[in-house]
Amino acid sequence: MSVKLYALSTCPYCRRTREYLDDNDVSYDLVEVDLLEGQERADVIAEVKEVSGGTSFPVLVAGEEIVVGFNKKKIKELLGL
Amino acid sequence: MSESGPRRRFSAGTTIEDLKEYMGPFAATLGYKFNTDTEFVDEVLESEIAILERDGDVYCPCRMRTGDPKEDLKIVCPCIPFYRDQFAAMDKCWCGLFIRTHVEDGSDLMGVIEEPEPGTLVDVPVARATDIPDGQGRHVRIGRVDIAVFNAGGAFYALSNLCRHAYGPLAEGIVDGHHVMCPWHGWRYDVRDGSTDHPDADVKTYPVVVRDGEVLVRIALGRR
Repeated sequence: MSVKLYALSTCPYCRRTREYLDDNDVSYDLVEVDLLEGQERADVIAEVKEVSGGTSFPVLVAGEEIVVGFNKKKIKELLGL
Repeated sequence: MSESGPRRRFSAGTTIEDLKEYMGPFAATLGYKFNTDTEFVDEVLESEIAILERDGDVYCPCRMRTGDPKEDLKIVCPCIPFYRDQFAAMDKCWCGLFIRTHVEDGSDLMGVIEEPEPGTLVDVPVARATDIPDGQGRHVRIGRVDIAVFNAGGAFYALSNLCRHAYGPLAEGIVDGHHVMCPWHGWRYDVRDGSTDHPDADVKTYPVVVRDGEVLVRIALGRR
């Protein structure tokens, strides 16, 4: 299952989520939305809104499922950690 | 100030202590305090300082600016007045930098952003009882609803802020016993039940409780 993490470089929960994924050897695509510019940034924000219904971070996408925020329990269940 | 750069809203060299100094007392008027996990508070505020240096204001570290200034002012920290009902339902702001005054251990409230279901009844803190003197009103916006909160003889009441006549702001009205007179044309409403002598013009009321010196208005959580 491919895992993607939309994050902000400034966000404490994004940092915690990344640490948690790294500690559990989960490989994932990381998109740091606030570091993007111009059209790419606008496109990715639209993408985040579409999958999560808002603009809160982090947003973790695993297959069809998403987890908004650093919700260790949900991430654990979803990724079978 | 350069024309291209963002307006400077904070002095150069603003520290997390500076942020704490003005945010703390403000949050207290809204029924919130800094998280009891001081390490976490410092981490969030460090992030806000970095965002301030980059983007010109203390935007919420976990939320994305849209580029629309009117929208983005709602994610400048502290953003409690813009999300009173949702935060009251969670006992904290989005990231948990601020928690409700009565919460003893804020570390339980971190990490998860679970927004409550629309329609959930929430007691929303709107003011400290001592901040609204007898005979006075206060306008409060909860989500998309404009509410007038009155102190009439030491008891608190909440009703729709909009007069049904010409939409005058009832919170600025004159309190006369158990009635408020609209400041625009003097239509009178009973603050206890929203009733008026004009036909089909009663205004909606909301239950109010006073707990630990806080005035709380009970409202169904709105849709965003």
